[in-house]
Amino acid sequence: MKFGKKNYWLYILPAILLIGTFVYVPIIQNFYFSLFKMNSYTDEKIFVGLSHYVRIFKDDVFYTSLKNNITYALISVICQVGLGTVLAILIESKLTGRLRNFYRNVLFMPSLISVTAVGLLWYFIYNPNVGMLNALLTKIGLENLTHAWLAEPNVAIYSIIAMSQWQYTGYIMVLILVAIQKIPQELFEAAEIDGANGIQKSLFVIIPNIKEMLLVTSVITVIGAFKLFTEIYVMTMGGPYNTTQVLGTYLYQSAFMFDEMGYASAIAVIIFTITFTASIIQIRMAKSGKG
Amino acid sequence: MKRNSILLLVVVMVLSLFLTACGSAEPEAAQPSDSTEPAEVAEPTAEDPITLKFLHRWPDELYDGFFNDMAREYETANPGIIIDVQAIANDPFKEKIKVVLGTDEAPDVFFTWPGEFTNRFIRAGKVMDLTDVMMKDNYIDNYVASQMEPFTVDGKIYGAPVRVDGKIFVYNKEMFAQAGVEIPETWEEFVTVCEQLDAAGIVPIAFGNQAPWAVSHYIGTLNQKIVGEPIHAAYDPAVGDFSDPGFVTALEEFERIVPYFNKNTNAIKHSEARENWMASKAAMMYIEIVEIPEITRNGPAEIQDNYGVFEFPEYVGGNGDQTLLTGYPEGFVVSNTTKHPEEAIAFFKYITGKEVGLKEANAVGWLNGAKGIAKKGEISDSLYENTQIIYNAGGLVNWLDSGMHAKVTNEYLTDLQMLIDGLLTPQEVIDNVQEVATEVTSEF
Repeated sequence: MKFGKKNYWLYILPAILLIGTFVYVPIIQNFYFSLFKMNSYTDEKIFVGLSHYVRIFKDDVFYTSLKNNITYALISVICQVGLGTVLAILIESKLTGRLRNFYRNVLFMPSLISVTAVGLLWYFIYNPNVGMLNALLTKIGLENLTHAWLAEPNVAIYSIIAMSQWQYTGYIMVLILVAIQKIPQELFEAAEIDGANGIQKSLFVIIPNIKEMLLVTSVITVIGAFKLFTEIYVMTMGGPYNTTQVLGTYLYQSAFMFDEMGYASAIAVIIFTITFTASIIQIRMAKSGKG
Repeated sequence: MKRNSILLLVVVMVLSLFLTACGSAEPEAAQPSDSTEPAEVAEPTAEDPITLKFLHRWPDELYDGFFNDMAREYETANPGIIIDVQAIANDPFKEKIKVVLGTDEAPDVFFTWPGEFTNRFIRAGKVMDLTDVMMKDNYIDNYVASQMEPFTVDGKIYGAPVRVDGKIFVYNKEMFAQAGVEIPETWEEFVTVCEQLDAAGIVPIAFGNQAPWAVSHYIGTLNQKIVGEPIHAAYDPAVGDFSDPGFVTALEEFERIVPYFNKNTNAIKHSEARENWMASKAAMMYIEIVEIPEITRNGPAEIQDNYGVFEFPEYVGGNGDQTLLTGYPEGFVVSNTTKHPEEAIAFFKYITGKEVGLKEANAVGWLNGAKGIAKKGEISDSLYENTQIIYNAGGLVNWLDSGMHAKVTNEYLTDLQMLIDGLLTPQEVIDNVQEVATEVTSEF
């Protein structure tokens, strides 16, 4: 049998079928469901058109959620990518000496623990009565700084964000470490011959050469911020009074607590749009980086 | 996209839980043995067993173990029946039951809270109408009448209790003596007791409201005592009328005791607050009677002979019947889509019946709805006395959170957390609740 030019379709057909069934069809279906009022325990569907979308844009909790996701994204990029880069540079520098691997492993460790376990761990650290954090603050005489960390509306979301930084900064740091190690040694030698000091080497040799990785990690972090769910679910369930609600948890509650599958689907469409846009930006910029 | 796949995953996981557990063969329908009889399912035999899926909401060892023991005993007494026991914990149960009921693999006999929580499943045709079963030979007389009322909707009977319950105050006798206070009879006295305990340097009330159903028990009781009859119209999702001024008064009265709770109520779980109360860190706590065994089993020795109970004090001048008790039984119902209705009903009768009830009272410390269990000497004294509070009450008032539509409940509870933090006034809370209630009404 002779394979024509168009027979390549046969080879990618299995993959397309699988991805189509498990990725693309559900996405389209999800958009379709968002046009209906429905719940999970009956077959009844009532067509409501785009009214779920109209409602979303009037919904205070939606805006709180969106704001929390954006805050999480901003802080994560600054802390994980920014601080992660600084840490990576420090670990690669001569300052760490023989303890280099030790520092790296210690910082990387938290990202290996499951989010649920980390959430519980920090739930106890933040506990206002028996928690470590308040006990520590009291010990060092900063009693006026103690808080009910997960229960005060102005503090709760930042407490959760802080936990995530603790967990993931090491992970991003390792990604950047890999990028730094790939920089040709000649560049450093040339810089040294030119008389560059450590800071100058970082700014003019390392940073320009790991630009791509910085971009990739930033996008990973932003997408991660919009996928946020477990941390909130374990620690506050969106409380107190919805101040720590994020899109993921709000979607979940709409679907399974308030019996509004259609509305939840509409929120899912919004999350999809945001992460999809972020991915496109990533792909575009990655290309331009090569050029 | 990712979120969607997580949702899908959740659904698949929940389903697989049930699919994997019921691999045994379904019996074939036999030929009708008699022309007057409808088609009958073949008698189950050991070779060709029937599997009934039974879902409750207590995965903790003691309770799950108990239900498993009961299931094994039933299997021994009824060869050919296999009871597949499943358990999902309280909060996730509220979410997962909805997913499970939407599938063909719904459990045959399952747990539920009577009231609006169950009513929506009844409206969706998911719960079997047991009126004929209960009326046949007056089978219903095997149950305590007052405890069957919650399972009766529009004159039809849908279930029976697995445990009866009521909300009471527990108090620390030593602390009361220390502050020189007596059990309060009226709400005014109650507030005074709080003041005096506070003045004596004792935290008056342990309260953990991280999951805000805890506050709903206070408000549910105050609403009933102050507003009275109009609460039914307010909680009914099809009416949703919160215009009675009593709803605001109830919150104003509640605000008076807020200063007497322990600190950080919104950061503490109800169970943590109970631990604190048991450790003598607060004088009183508003708890459910079904929590008392928790105190007797896990409380420190110092608390065992040192605590007493009293009912929610009377609100003088309130429009509600002051003899009513906040607290509804929880129960089991039969699925309307079960493939083995006869076997499922038989098992339902067994698990809510007297035989299991007696064992339950002694093994777990709960009372189910069967008649003739609460006898002095046959069950523990504290269970007997607390049960009398339930039986002697003028009637039962459903828990606020399972009595209302989920969206109204959510608004109410969220706003109550804000009220406790001083961010909303009582009037604002009721305005918000009314707004959501009106919105919900339009869907009916």
